[in-house]
Amino acid sequence: MLLGSIMQYRKDRRNRHRIARYQAWEGQLTDYLFKKGYERGGFGQVAWSDRWLFRDFLARYQSTIAGQESELLRELYLSMGIHATLPQRLRDRDPKVRAQAAKEIAIFRLDEPAEHVPPPVTARPWRWKPGVRMEGYLELVLPLLDDPVPFVAHTAAQTLTHSRSLTYAAPVLAWVMREELYQRERLLRVLEGFGPILLPWMKENLESPDQNPEPWILYALLVGSHRHRESQPRLLWLLGIPSVDLRASVLKALIILADPLVYPKVLSFAASPAWEIRTQVARALGVLGGPSAVPDLLPLMADPVYEVRRNAAQSLVDLGHSGVSALTWLADDPAADRFARDIARERLEWADERGHM
Amino acid sequence: MTRRWPEQTTVLVVEDDPATAKIIQVRLEMEGLKVLVAANGMEALELLRQEKVDLVTTDLMMPAMNGFRLVQEIRDLPPPKGRLPILLLSSNHSEQDMVRCLAAGADDYMAKPISVQVMVERLWRLYERSHRAG
Repeated sequence: MLLGSIMQYRKDRRNRHRIARYQAWEGQLTDYLFKKGYERGGFGQVAWSDRWLFRDFLARYQSTIAGQESELLRELYLSMGIHATLPQRLRDRDPKVRAQAAKEIAIFRLDEPAEHVPPPVTARPWRWKPGVRMEGYLELVLPLLDDPVPFVAHTAAQTLTHSRSLTYAAPVLAWVMREELYQRERLLRVLEGFGPILLPWMKENLESPDQNPEPWILYALLVGSHRHRESQPRLLWLLGIPSVDLRASVLKALIILADPLVYPKVLSFAASPAWEIRTQVARALGVLGGPSAVPDLLPLMADPVYEVRRNAAQSLVDLGHSGVSALTWLADDPAADRFARDIARERLEWADERGHM
Repeated sequence: MTRRWPEQTTVLVVEDDPATAKIIQVRLEMEGLKVLVAANGMEALELLRQEKVDLVTTDLMMPAMNGFRLVQEIRDLPPPKGRLPILLLSSNHSEQDMVRCLAAGADDYMAKPISVQVMVERLWRLYERSHRAG
């Protein structure tokens, strides 16, 4: 009980101190950003004991503020000299400390050349080791990809992709491929951090899809998320690889790119024995073909797999008047295929309940 | 191009993070603008009823009433308040969100992290355009 009270008291005291510091720094920060930004020591002194608090205070702004102000925030962080402790913190026993250190490298862009104002050596000589340079921090993050704690490895991967340096493309991709299949699409967000420059790199460096189609699935999905039209010829080539998952991912990307010229190629997969592929074809035909896709969508309405029929019905709805007319006709036609009639009725009833298609 | 804001031009800044709101406020005040700050959509609507406002800049994700809802509520107000130029700020970069913002009635959209400098410029453009339109 007594111990609990002491802990609570200490926690409250720390919180009060944090609030007081943040309030004082907020005023100082706006002055620094808009009035004294280029003056050395323009922000004023920050007690050495408050350095971690100050780091957290600065990090709050990096996700909202960009441009000139963001540069000034970065310089302020560097002027504290706490980045010199990063190598040590990246090897700390506490996973939270390791992750935080990796995150700082990304937030304050410590991978960029050291064109910063040097730390105030004369004021705090014990903090600054002249030999410590900023370059090379990313190399220290690299081993964290093998960290046993998943969130540390994830933060490390984010930091490496944030650098947009393709030097780290191979290890980050290898890390993604080591993860379970169901995690990979989620980890795609991490790979997106490299930007579209990763796509030509993948094209050049990945193993042949005949031998290993899995990384190419990520390639196809990335083409979609970056809407990278230049990669469309490669996507069409990948459709020739006999891998169900790869073909389905390629079709997903082609739906996003929405180029009507690839319609005939997509249509050739409408009779694929794999339902995963037919499901994507049912979506793609509507997007790529417009109202003229109605005759090609009707056979998919009679598909034995519900998911394929559902997608075909949705495509018809998305086509507007011509598609909805086809659905109404199917729903009312006693001679129509039973599967097709049922899914058409289901889709129309659903629309009735909601008051819209 | 030099910006010449008419005297007493008022900007309503709707932002739930006080630190970000403060930075935006100070920068806009340096432009000679009068700045009102609200922490969510509800507070913003209250201020809109009481004060004369010329421009609105709002965050998207906020408690109580989010940016989408606020834009819709403003657009439902009778003119001239219903036609106020609105700049939406969001930390979500998805195309869907951008479309949703503009469809809700926002005049412009900026993805966070934002350059305050660019934001001032965009507000000026919105102001100019709304005044030219009368």
